[in-house]
Order: sequence, then structure tokens, then C-alpha cells
Amino acid sequence: MSGSLLPRARLLGGAEIAAILVFAACFAVPMMTKSVLVFSVLNQALVGVVAAQSVWIMLRMNLMSFASPAFMAIGGYTVAIAGQYEITNVFLLTAAAFILPALVAIPLGALVLRLRGTYFVLVTFVLSQIMQLLLFETPGLTGGSNGISGIPPVNVLGTDMATNRQVVLFACGIALLATVITACLTRYFKQHFAAIEENEILAESLGLVVWRYKALGFVVAAGIAGLAGFSLVTMLLTAHPSSFDSGTAVDFIAYTIIGGRASILGPVVGTALMVYATNLFGTHGQYAQGLYGVLILVVVLALRGGIVGTVETLVRKLRGAS
Amino acid sequence: MEQFLQAGIIGISLGAQYALLALGFTLIFGILGVVNFSHGGFYMLGGYVAYACVDRLGVPYPVAVLAAVGTTAALGWVFELLLIERLVDDHLATLMLTLGLYLVMSTAMLEVFGPLAMDFRFPITGALRFGPVYAPLENLVVLGICLTAIMGLWLVLFRTDIGRALRALADDRAVAMAQGLRPKLLFPAAFALATGLAGLTGALVTPILSLSPGVADPVLATSFLTVILGGLGSLGGAALAAFIVGIVEAYSSVYFGGSIGALILFVLVLLLLVFRPTGLLGREVRGA
Repeated sequence: MSGSLLPRARLLGGAEIAAILVFAACFAVPMMTKSVLVFSVLNQALVGVVAAQSVWIMLRMNLMSFASPAFMAIGGYTVAIAGQYEITNVFLLTAAAFILPALVAIPLGALVLRLRGTYFVLVTFVLSQIMQLLLFETPGLTGGSNGISGIPPVNVLGTDMATNRQVVLFACGIALLATVITACLTRYFKQHFAAIEENEILAESLGLVVWRYKALGFVVAAGIAGLAGFSLVTMLLTAHPSSFDSGTAVDFIAYTIIGGRASILGPVVGTALMVYATNLFGTHGQYAQGLYGVLILVVVLALRGGIVGTVETLVRKLRGAS
Repeated sequence: MEQFLQAGIIGISLGAQYALLALGFTLIFGILGVVNFSHGGFYMLGGYVAYACVDRLGVPYPVAVLAAVGTTAALGWVFELLLIERLVDDHLATLMLTLGLYLVMSTAMLEVFGPLAMDFRFPITGALRFGPVYAPLENLVVLGICLTAIMGLWLVLFRTDIGRALRALADDRAVAMAQGLRPKLLFPAAFALATGLAGLTGALVTPILSLSPGVADPVLATSFLTVILGGLGSLGGAALAAFIVGIVEAYSSVYFGGSIGALILFVLVLLLLVFRPTGLLGREVRGA
């Protein structure tokens, strides 16, 4: 009796369409420039935005997850191990990178979704620590502290994605796919997620089968994170435990919070700006963390809607005034 | 047998350090309902303040430790009063605030002291010998100070009016406030007490282990692990869990090597959450 109580929203809203158009437009960038720097920054942003969307899905239900690096690792290592068996077909790999983390998320979700609020945060943090230790302790499968290098390029319809430009195009494709999945999920279940975000106990007492939507969100978020891992491994040509360090979860959370958690444009705008800003620091990239810190403080204390939310409010005010 | 006893001494000494960290962490959660992501940062800050006092100002080490406690407690007080206080009822918002503070703190330390490990040594060296077993003197001194601090904390919380007030706020904030307790004074005090403990641990332990901007992350992870094991908000649970974690870590590093011990502990914690989400000694869980 769950779904029938709540009206279903239109499949895609303005923000969702805008986000999809942004990534469709990204395909044009590698055609217009040969700059290695542009390729590098764009590629980092395209990986980051997928991971940030995984965080954002859970935030729709007021759950902050630090587990994204763990699921990214599953997706990334799946592709790396498949590469050792010379499996490079993009459709096969994309399906595997999405489905395997999602499958792992089913039993894990049954465990961790019993917990709410801060307890959930702590447990997802523990999960990403466990994954990090597992990567080091299973050298037979994952190469241990050496990781897996020499991953063959992904093959798209007979073409190997070997050059910088092709890798960026591939990352565009993954980001677009992830955005479409995220947009459809969060739009279709908008009311359900919002009810859980607002007041879970009330939602449950009104007949919403809360665990079903939380589990669905968790599983899809894991699959999206797996896609981010696929994209990351393809960019780096190697799968290494340090790429999936639990500290990177902080970056993805920062992207989402700074961009704004109310709309899907939040993680998109947040990631784009933060990755760009990080590159402005040049060789002093570690200082970007300080910038994230300051911006998080500002957003939480003063601009609760993040960048996107603040811009929306400003636009509304300007419209009201005119 | 010697190896067994030696590992036991290391384990208990680790346990005492973890207990100081976990008690601070669980104190903040129990009283304010805030998960303090900057706890590892305050540990690191304590280490750097002590180092700067000894190395740059030439102050004797014990004074440097006191300076570290004072600085971290003062910063904790100010941070709570100015920032946390505004959003103290919003779990996720306060969590983000402490995360933001941690990122700023670690970047500041990186800027001031650089990314490399500092040459910071404990002033007492040597070892005591009990028959065939050697106990490093520095570990024994740290163990002594940690146990004293734990005793002191216990006295403050259970034998003074401030302690009773803090525990009352942890038990039921609404009722405690109705009785006239003032969170505006007590919350910053609790936060300062906890960050001071983290600073004390940092000042004591970083000269033995190492001091670099990277030390905060493992400390935060261990604090999480310990307080989940003990039950969030439970003081006795945190102390008990800290010694379990310390002893398991010491024995597994001697007998298994690598990170197997940590892996076992993390999986243990995950399973514990399934069967007993409140931890070993926790009661009701706030918001879980």
C-alpha cells in the first residue's frame, strides 16, 4: 500500500534535464580542444561527479554515507580484474561495475540501514575502512599494496579508448549514464525520499514502507559508486588501494554539500567548481582540503542551500522584486 | 611467554591511550549529541603544540604538554560556543561543522609545519626489566599519566557538581534544562574537556609514535571503532572497549602481523552492530 498513497511526480524536472544536458554538452569539449590540462580537469570532474551523485542519493533520505569509496573499489577492481582476463567490452564492464557493487550492497544494506542518523554515518565510515584493509589483505585477488596496473583500454564498439580524448569521451558517457539513473530514481521516488528525509517515523506510521526505499536508494547508490570506480580506474589505468581511501569520501561529501543537497544540480555544480579550484592550487593540491573545510563551514552556517540553493533563492528574490 | 607478556604491556598502554581519546569522543556525543569528526585533529594539534613549545620555544616537555592541553581545550571551547552552539540539535549539520574544522586544522598544520614527520622524541628513554620482560619506560610513563587522567575525569564527572550537571544533560536535556542547568555554559565546557583530553593524548603519544599531518585519520578511525564497540555515549563502555581494542591490536600485530588485527576488529564491530546496535555497555541509542 506504499506507493499508492503518494502522487508520482513527472519523470524529469527542470534540474534533472539541465544536469543531463550538461553532460551531453561535455561530449563536445574534447572535440574543441587538445589541451591536456582541460582533459585532465574535465576527466577528474567527470569521475568526481558520479561519486558525488552516489552520496547525493543517500542525502535525499537524510543519510550521509562515507561508504562510496568502498563501492567504488568494488566497481574499479571488478574492471581491473576483468582486464586481466582481457575482457574489455564496454557494455559488459559497465554492467559488471554497476551490478556487482549493487549486489554487495543488498546484504550490507540489510545490516547498516537498521541504523539512522549519526550511527549510519559511523557505520559507513567503518565499511570503507574494512574495504581498505581487505584490499591490502587479499594480494592474490587485488594485488595487495601494489594494486593492479596495466589495465587494457576499454573497447567501445570495436574501438579501443586509448587516447586522452577517448578516455574523456568515455568518462562523459559514464557520467551521463549515472546522471540519467540518478535523475530517474530520485525523481520517480521524489515524494517517498522527501517523506523519509522530513520525518522517517511519521512516514512509516503513514504507511510508507521505509526500508524498501532506503534499500533501493542504497543499492542504486552503490551501483553508481561502482560506475565512478570504473571511470576512475580507466582514467588512471591502474587500480590501487590509495585511490579508494576512506578520506576521498570526505571530498565527495564536500562536493555535494557545497554544491547544494536540494537538487541534482548541487553535486554537479559543486564537483565542477571544487575540482576546478583544486587544480588552481597547482602543485599545492593538498591545500584544497582547507578550502573545502572553510566552504563547508560557510554552507552549514550561512548558506544552507549550498551554491545551487543560494542561486535559486537569489533568482526567486530578483523575480519577486521586478 | 615473554613475548606474550610484552605484547600485553604494549596492549594495556595502547588501551589507556585509546581510552582517553574514546572518552572525549563519547563525552561529546553523550552530552551534546555531536559526532566530533575533528577529534583526530585535536589529537594532532596537541602533538604539534607540544612539539612547537619544546622545539621552538625551548620549554620543558611537561610544560609543553600542559600548553597543548590548554590550547586544544581553549579552541574546543571557542569552537563550540561560536559555531556548534547555533546548530546543536542538528546531528548532520554539527557533524559537517566538525568535519570542516578538521579540514581547516589539518591544512593549517600542513602549512605551518610541512608534510614531513617531525623529529619529536619523548624525553624519557630506557626500559624497566621484570625478569625476562622489558617494559619501555616511555610507555609506562604515558600509561601512568593516562590512568591518572581517566581517574581525574571520573572524579570530575561523578564527584563534582559540574560533572553531575553534565551527566544530567546527557541523560535528558529537556528535564535538565527545566531544572535550571544552563547548556550555554555547560556545552562549551564539555566540548573543551573532551578536546583537551584529545590534545593531552596527542602531546603524550605523538613523541612515541610519530607526528605528521597524517596522524589524525587513524586516530579518528580508532576513536569511532572504540566508541561503537563500547556503545556511543557510554563512558564505561568506551573505557572497556578501548582496552579491548588496544590488547587485540597489540597481540595481533605480534602474532599475525600486518593489518589482520584491525580487519578483525572492524568486522567484529560490524557484527556487533547487527546483534547489539547499542554496543557493549550502551543503553538507548540517540537517534539510531
